This record gives sequence, C-alpha cells and structure tokens, in this order.
Amino acid sequence: MTIIKISDLVYTYPGASKPSIDGLSLNIEKGEFVLITGPSGCGKTSLCRTFNGLIPHFYQGVLKGQIIVAGQDVTDKQTFEMAKHVGLVFQNPENQLFALSVEKDVAFGLENLGMPRAEMRKRVDWALNLAGIYDLRERSPHEVSGGQQQRVAIASVLAMQPEIIVLDEPTSFLDPLSAERIFEVIYKLNQEQGITVVLVEHRLDLTAKYTNHLVVMDKGKICFEGNPRDILCNEEISRIGVGIPKATLLYKRLKAAGFDVNMQTPLSSDELAEQLLKVLDV
Amino acid sequence: MSVFDGLKFRKVFSPIHNLDPRIKFIYVIAIFISAILFHQILPLAILFLIQLPFVFMARVQKQWVKSLRGAAFLASFIFIINILTKFFYNNWTLTAFDIESALGMTMRFIVLVESFSVFFLTTSPDHLGLALEQSRIPYEFAFAFTTAVRFVPVLAEEAQTIMDAQKARGLELEKGNLLKRIRNYIPILIPLIVSAIRRSLELAEAMESRAWGAAKKRTNLYLLKLHKGDYILIGITTIVLIITIYVRLFLFNSIPLISSFFF
Repeated sequence: MTIIKISDLVYTYPGASKPSIDGLSLNIEKGEFVLITGPSGCGKTSLCRTFNGLIPHFYQGVLKGQIIVAGQDVTDKQTFEMAKHVGLVFQNPENQLFALSVEKDVAFGLENLGMPRAEMRKRVDWALNLAGIYDLRERSPHEVSGGQQQRVAIASVLAMQPEIIVLDEPTSFLDPLSAERIFEVIYKLNQEQGITVVLVEHRLDLTAKYTNHLVVMDKGKICFEGNPRDILCNEEISRIGVGIPKATLLYKRLKAAGFDVNMQTPLSSDELAEQLLKVLDV
Repeated sequence: MSVFDGLKFRKVFSPIHNLDPRIKFIYVIAIFISAILFHQILPLAILFLIQLPFVFMARVQKQWVKSLRGAAFLASFIFIINILTKFFYNNWTLTAFDIESALGMTMRFIVLVESFSVFFLTTSPDHLGLALEQSRIPYEFAFAFTTAVRFVPVLAEEAQTIMDAQKARGLELEKGNLLKRIRNYIPILIPLIVSAIRRSLELAEAMESRAWGAAKKRTNLYLLKLHKGDYILIGITTIVLIITIYVRLFLFNSIPLISSFFF
C-alpha cells in the first residue's frame, strides 16, 4: 500500500526566484524505511515539510502538483490534522522541546488533541519506554544531553501514534555514538511497530544498512532511487556530493584493482569484514 | 553566566515546595493585605516572624537572606525618607515615636519582600505555569510564560557564545565610558536577536507539527489537586486574615508602641 504519493511537485518559497523542489515524484510504501540523502540545499528539508503540510500552510509560497499522505490531500488539510498521521522530528533538538519536564513535552501533542488524562498517561509512558528515556521523564529537557533530547523529540511525536515518522537530519548535532543509538531506536520502531520511516541523513556510513529504498536528491530533483547496493556503486553519485560509506568505497577500489571478491556491495564495515573473512577463508 | 544564575530554579523537594501555587499565592496576598493594614511595628514584626517557619521548612534560608539583603538598600532608603520628613514636618525635632513609625514603614516593606520571596523561592516555574494553565488564563499566555522560562538558560548560553566569538575577533567590552560600553554590546545583541527570531520560527514549526491548535479544549497531563498541606495553609491564611481584620477593627488604637514602654 502506498502511504506517501507525491506527483510532479514543484514548490517555490515566497520571495525565492527559483523553485526549491522542481518536478519531484516519489512513492513510499507502508512500513518502508526510506533514506533520503543529497548535498545541502538540495530540497530535502523542503520535501520533509510537505509531508505534514508545513509547506504550503505554514510557509505559504507557490505549490504545484499533488501530495497524498496517509490518504489525505495535504493541500486541503491543516497541519494539526496531518500531525496525527505524520510525526516530524527536526534537526536541532533544542528548538523542538518547549516544556519544563520531559514527560510534559512528550504529552504536548496529546494535550493539543484534547486527549483524556488517563489515556494520555498511558501513551506518554509507552512512548517514553519505546524511546528508552523513561528514567528521564521528570528531568528538564534542557539539562539532558543532545542525544537524549533528540530521543525526547522522537518520543513526543511517537506519543501521537502516527503512521509515518519523518526525521530531518536528526543527528547532525550529535556525536557518532549518540547518532548510532538514535538510528537504532528509529530502526526498532520501523521493525517492531511497523511505522513508516523517512529519514534524511548525510551519514550513510551508519544508516545505509537499514534501508533498501535510498533516494538521492540534487537541485530539487530525485537523481537516483532504489536499492543502496546498486546506487552506491554508481560512479556518477560521487560527483553529487554524497557521503558514500567507507566500506562501499573500499569494495569499489578492490574491484577496480582487479580483486574479484565476488560478493554483494557492502553497506557497513561489519558487512564488509564478514564477507572479506569468508573470501579470505580465515 | 552568574547574572542568569538567579533565574534558574533548582528542584528542591520540601513540604512548602509541594504546596499548590494557587493557595500559596492567596496566602501571599493575605500577608500583603495584613501588612498594608498596620503601620505599628508590633503587628508587623509578628507578620514577619510567622513566615519564618515557612522559610526553614522549605530550606531556602540562604537564598531568602540573599533576597532580604538585596532589599536592604531600598529598606534603608524608606527609613531615611520617613525620618527626614518627620524631622522637617515637626520643626526640626525628632521623637522616639517618629523613629518607631519610620521603623514600622520599613518593616512593612520588609514583610512584603519576605512574603514574595518565599513564594518565588518555593514555586517552580512549571508549577507556576501549571497554575496559570488551570486558572482559566488563556493557554497561550501560560505557554508563553513557560517557554520564556524554558529558554532563559538557552539564550544565556547563546549570549555567552556570541560574546566569546566577538571577543575572539577583538571586541573589547570593558572599554571606554558608560555610553561607549553600552554601545560595545550592540555586536552581541544583534546576532542574539537574529538567532532568537530564527529559533522562534523553528519552535513555531515544531509546535505546528505537534498539532498546536487542534482541539478547542486542551487537556493537561497534570492536574493540580489540593492535598493535606494545602488545606492546612488555607486554614492558616484564614486565621491570619480573621485575626488581622478583628485587631484592625476593634483593637487598632490599643496596639502598644514599643517606645511607650520606655517613656
């Protein structure tokens, strides 16, 4: 079942001379883990904003084309209606938490929806547990670490039980270890809760292994889409400015040097190591 | 960042901190009214003393003393102005009674400062925000209040970063006369304001994404409920008010002056 269907989308911010999204079509199936990457300014963030109607409702501007998300036409629905279907997690963890306790922040969306207290309590605890921050619930969001803040942000959209979670470079403020933990939380949600995940990320080293639907964007368009094992082998991709995993690079060089390692394109160091060991027969 | 340290509330747990902020506020108002009704030093001293148990129960003595010390300048100002007016008004003479009434005025001010400082020292901002939310004030205002409190440390940190960055580029903050010094802060303020505006846009975006404005009637995760302590405080407040009004109406002129014991 297609949960996000975007056809021939062209979007220009108010006052901008050229469109940020320029003729983009994308289909995402329910339960997929989609990874979107591309150089800065390629329209990734704008694309994320269209999923819950921040574009065009919050940002105004000119929008052409059609966006259907979870059966709703985004251009007809207000953002707060879309919020029940699509949860958005932003780049800067600090600027998406407003309350004075973690727990209250997670409840923020539910309070807005007017949910009865008893049910809200249950949902908040559920979301806190899934994000692994139940112990932090009474702390103030600004006194926990960046990685924990980002998990609070994830829990707070999770509490609204959306079908889709969209994360716009959620780890760009975090160190590699915290980033990896965030990705594990996201992957778990995708696998165990069946939530469709759209992740925008530069760090393919850490994330390519989770997906089989990679989207590479450049200049407001999609230039590559499909299985990362095929795409990351493509020579043209290095010209766009995509951080190809080191394991994949090494594999490519080995192949170019004439080593017939006879294996599928590795996406992470672990995969490469495992396969090399097999080939070398150690 | 010492300037902003005072704005940070540290979580302490004590029977006073756990009281309902609304009741505490009513109590403060009651003390306030009582202090206004008297000018004699004796009842004002009693009002001062009956608040001491709260300070000790809440274990905020240190901060409380600090806030009183902060008020000392204004208090001595009030005292001196009172003495001077009495002095000139009574043709360059000063009696013990005059000094006592000046002391009474000062005492009244100290009682007011004391009660408000106890309130703010023992009420956490989220408690206060919650009280605002649940006392029929439009949610937007309560939200603005808690968000402001939430972002004070964030903005303070940012101001520090900008200051460091500008200093690293050769800005001298502590140079020149007063006017020059104030002008020195412009390269700090402009980036701070710009980034605050950008931050507010991001916040608005995040709020929209979490269904801000979806339901007409918002619910709340927490519910303020009155506990045993709150009822005790209601009792104390009522007793203070009854005694105050009774004394004011029937015994006002028979309140003894301290100086009358000596002369």
